[in-house]
Amino acid sequence: MGNFPLVLNQINKSFNDGDKSIKILKDLSFSVKKGELAAVIGPSGSGKSTFLSIAGALLTPDDGNIFINGKDVSGLSDFQKADVRLHSIGYIFQTSNLVPYLKVEEQLGLVLKMANHNTEEKSDHVRILLISVGMEHRSSHYPHQLSGGEKQRVAIARAFANDPDIILADEPTASLDSNRSAAITGLISRIVKKKNKAGIIVTHDEGVLPFCDRIYAMQDGQLLEQTTKRGTNNESVQ
Amino acid sequence: MEMFSLSFKEMRFFKVRYLLISFILFFIAALVFIINGLANGLSMDNASSFKTMDAEAFFISSDAELRLDRSNIEIGKTQIESSSAKIQPAAIQMASLKGDDNQKLDVTFLAINPGSYLEPIAIEGEALNGNNSMVVDSSLKNEGLKIGDVLEDERTGAIFKVSGFAEHQTYSHTPVVFISLDFWSGLTNGKVSFLALQEKDQLIQDKITKAADGIWAEKEKVISGIPGYEAEQNSLFMMLSFLIVIAVFVLAAFFYIMTIQKKGQMGILKAIGAKTGFLIKSTLAQVLMLTVISIGAAIGFTWLAGLLLPPNIPFVFDIVQIIKYAAILCMVSLFGSLISSINIIKADPIQAMGRVE
Repeated sequence: MGNFPLVLNQINKSFNDGDKSIKILKDLSFSVKKGELAAVIGPSGSGKSTFLSIAGALLTPDDGNIFINGKDVSGLSDFQKADVRLHSIGYIFQTSNLVPYLKVEEQLGLVLKMANHNTEEKSDHVRILLISVGMEHRSSHYPHQLSGGEKQRVAIARAFANDPDIILADEPTASLDSNRSAAITGLISRIVKKKNKAGIIVTHDEGVLPFCDRIYAMQDGQLLEQTTKRGTNNESVQ
Repeated sequence: MEMFSLSFKEMRFFKVRYLLISFILFFIAALVFIINGLANGLSMDNASSFKTMDAEAFFISSDAELRLDRSNIEIGKTQIESSSAKIQPAAIQMASLKGDDNQKLDVTFLAINPGSYLEPIAIEGEALNGNNSMVVDSSLKNEGLKIGDVLEDERTGAIFKVSGFAEHQTYSHTPVVFISLDFWSGLTNGKVSFLALQEKDQLIQDKITKAADGIWAEKEKVISGIPGYEAEQNSLFMMLSFLIVIAVFVLAAFFYIMTIQKKGQMGILKAIGAKTGFLIKSTLAQVLMLTVISIGAAIGFTWLAGLLLPPNIPFVFDIVQIIKYAAILCMVSLFGSLISSINIIKADPIQAMGRVE
């Protein structure tokens, strides 16, 4: 299991809609390897976001187990789950969801401080992260001074700040045009590979798929791997 | 420390929003403090001679309803002198003094033993001597009174001579005129209104209770028995209480709306690993910073207002009472923000998923 930071085993989740109970996830099993970027596609309402919330320790499944770095988190308290999110999971949201009153470097600093990182190492670490997403020159700007793509770059840097083993991206390109979308997905893919993380991108955007190692489709509450030729796609990236 | 830094950065960014709240807090606090200063000023203006008097309890007639000027104690002079030097007899009487130019002054006579602890320190002129000298409240200087002036008491026809001025000597909003009890007794058949006791002492108090008809009353009770005193203080106190109730609602509403606005924000912070406790502490730290700064400024403003108010508006800046009210206001705003902490607890990190800013 050491090579699989995230393993979902036989997950079930249903929601109440009026007096009916709708089963969103049915016996879903899934895992990602280190250094691998997986895409999850599917029509809206198919349960992609529910899947991502459960994988990200935000939502508790009705039954089944989630192993994050080999540890079962399905029975943890809210407080413990917050800790798991802080240390083991990096989120990239649909809109960047940056904190509006923090400067770019402070966005990253906050995450580090919440995880009690040493202050001296911190500023170097923040700088290196910002360089890796090409945002160092904007480090003392507020989010409202940045473009959509720039915000998403900062959000990517923030997701990687605590050096988590799992990166979850929820439609990270939804608010970007196709050029920027490709650049952002390329960036996520590059860092995931370089840092040897397990990445999942939930998306509608076909342009994202060439950057991903595996593609899963959400169908009837389960994730089915699509058998496309990966090699050709990888070449087209370069 | 991190919670202070986070909330400070937030205030730095949303300057206008937080300035508005600080101003509301500042003005409410300043109004509370100023009304308190006016209430103190009025109380000083009304009853300063008894507020500053070095006595803890008074022996008065049981039927006087705590009013010194209605009290009358029948007790022999020797009985008083034999009991303790801390017991001092005094007579009090509203009076009207007439000057050379037929100018009339409404005053209160307080007849005491010269040299006893009841005699105020004259800041100008000389202390009482046994005869018809008088030490008067310095406010009478504004009426043109000078040392050596001679005035006639309209009721008894006796002549008194100003020997000195003392500060803060009023009773029922009239200036107090200290005269010799022996001299006054000669004019009024030895009437004694009350006995003052410098420090409470059960032994002495019991002895007096046996020797004469009357009851012991503490200083605060006697002061609130002064005509008009309670009425003035209560109406101001009512304003103060209402202001504090208003502050509770205004601040609670403000903080509530503010945290509702931040709910999405809190959800994101939770999603990236912030704990609910941290977010609540951070909000409380913010409210504490706002409150301390605003109330501090209001205290400074009140102090300045006290200096700048014209002398005919009595105002007393009492730092102990102001700190008490400041603490109440501080708790009120922390309470208001605690109520809104429910929103922080309810903020759902899942909403951060697929949320559009």
